[in-house]
Amino acid sequence: MTNKVLKWILWIVLLAILAAYPKLFGIYYTNLFVTFAVFAIFSVSFNLLLGFTGLLSFGHAMYFGVGGYGTALALKHIQGLPLLPAVLIGLVSGVILSLIFCPLVVRVSGTAFAMLHLAFGQLVHMLAYKLRSITGGEDGIGGFPIPPLSIPGVVSINMKTPENFYYFAIIVLGISLWVMWYFTKTPFGQIQVGVRDNAMRIDYLGFKVPQTKAVVYVVAGAFAGVAGSIYALFQNLISSGALDIFTSFTPITMTMVGGIGSFFGPVLGAAIIQVIEELSTRLTEQVELVVGLILILVILFVPMGFVGLVRLLREKWSAPSAPATDLEKAS
Amino acid sequence: MDPTTAMYVAQGIHGLAYGMILFLVASGLNIIFGMMGILNLAHASFFMLSAYFSYQFLSMTGNFWVALLLAPVATAFFGILLERFLLRKIHALGHMGELIITVGVSLVILAGVKIFWGTESLPLKIPPLLTGLVSIAGMDYPIYRLFIIALSLVVLGIMALLLYKTRLGKIVRAAVSDADMVNALGVNMPLVFMFVFGVGTWLAGVAGVAIAPILLVFPGLADQIGMDAFVVIVTGGFGSLSGAFIVSIIFGLLSSYGVQFLSQLAPLLMFIFMAIVLAIKPTGFFGERE
Repeated sequence: MTNKVLKWILWIVLLAILAAYPKLFGIYYTNLFVTFAVFAIFSVSFNLLLGFTGLLSFGHAMYFGVGGYGTALALKHIQGLPLLPAVLIGLVSGVILSLIFCPLVVRVSGTAFAMLHLAFGQLVHMLAYKLRSITGGEDGIGGFPIPPLSIPGVVSINMKTPENFYYFAIIVLGISLWVMWYFTKTPFGQIQVGVRDNAMRIDYLGFKVPQTKAVVYVVAGAFAGVAGSIYALFQNLISSGALDIFTSFTPITMTMVGGIGSFFGPVLGAAIIQVIEELSTRLTEQVELVVGLILILVILFVPMGFVGLVRLLREKWSAPSAPATDLEKAS
Repeated sequence: MDPTTAMYVAQGIHGLAYGMILFLVASGLNIIFGMMGILNLAHASFFMLSAYFSYQFLSMTGNFWVALLLAPVATAFFGILLERFLLRKIHALGHMGELIITVGVSLVILAGVKIFWGTESLPLKIPPLLTGLVSIAGMDYPIYRLFIIALSLVVLGIMALLLYKTRLGKIVRAAVSDADMVNALGVNMPLVFMFVFGVGTWLAGVAGVAIAPILLVFPGLADQIGMDAFVVIVTGGFGSLSGAFIVSIIFGLLSSYGVQFLSQLAPLLMFIFMAIVLAIKPTGFFGERE
């Protein structure tokens, strides 16, 4: 059997499992999977910045939250808005916010970039918290109508049943992952990695470093917006809590745990963190303690995350050559 | 004196006191960053930890001055532990690792204080000597705010003497510009790093004890001042102490007068100020590096 056939079989098995998942595991775990899908999109969009461009953001939650607010406000105020345009509005909200901030943030990198995002993230959080008349503050916007997914004249699928929403969420997850994956494989994606490894050389080669960063930044903002939009639809609620600092830490944890150097690392990280959170909330109420300890232990012992660990083990049998990140080179 | 002027002066004192506290926290953060290149995101958590320690010492001994002396030292001890056993181990991984591990530490400290002291606000009693008002030139000033300003000035004086009049200060200043070179000249740099980290967290500790009687001690204590301190050093310029001082005082006054005139939206003033400064000069007021 050739390798290609094996790959196809694996894909088919994976799709079959995904399709049968709600039947197999029941409603609780179906909802858990939707949460995983949301945070997987969020973390992969974050990793476009951290893993591929070398920009650490402590405020990525603002794009997540703004996407959620965009969708929620649109559904609340526009009568009869279909589902897909609502999600699109979430994406556009993320794009608009990142366009506002990118002239300021693409000129810096490293610690200054991280700090600016910490500050801007707090600023957006505070705005959402204080402007109660628009955002509802801490209570948020809830109970907006969830429209069915409809292609006029063909089908209309009710999105209020968890099972249908699950299928919708994995399709959005699949499309988002594919678009972002394709994005990193284009020649532009190579420049992006070049900016991470040696920005000055990219500059000498004639590519524009700040503009490159800006494009990546907007794409990352857009998909964080999609994630937030799905999250708002799923919960039927978005509040200022979605913009706070802990929401910003979530993709950092997931990316570090999954593996910073790989595209699918954050997806794995999101899955691992979901499982750990699910188990730890049954044992203890101190979620911060668990997350904090995970971060410390991962950085201390497996700085390249789960994917890095697997790669390291595989290197003992064969000699693969994947582009290494700063973290990997140093360790 | 008419009430309007009195109000302006009172708000000014409040603003100055907060600005000085902010500067104590931001200067510790800035010294550590300037010398080691580490931005300690757990810095504000040490500030909060110190407030909890002072509550603990106060309830054990009943003496505010003992708490004021011991709590920052205990905090500095934890800071040194963080430097010695975590940050030094991962130095080779670069700044990303350091930033993320300090986030982890701040989360662990937050969970730690919740486990040991609970989530309620704990009051801190100050000695009668520092309560009440003092009347100077026909105006009443709250003694405790004046005490905070005086305390900060004393701490600043000690720091300045240490930094500019001693051999250790010379080493530290040299290390800020080139740590590797100083190491090559035979100075035990890891030890100096440990000491500087200790001093930085000690400064945060002093600020934590000083603010505890005003704001009460609660797990959210670190949020506000931590964010403010980061905004201060971003705006003032990374590694610049004079920038941090000026911006701290400006922010202190902005927040106290802002509450007076804009109430709800006062915290936004700081961010607007930061955005303006950064749009003109991305490295901050006095900053030379990113």
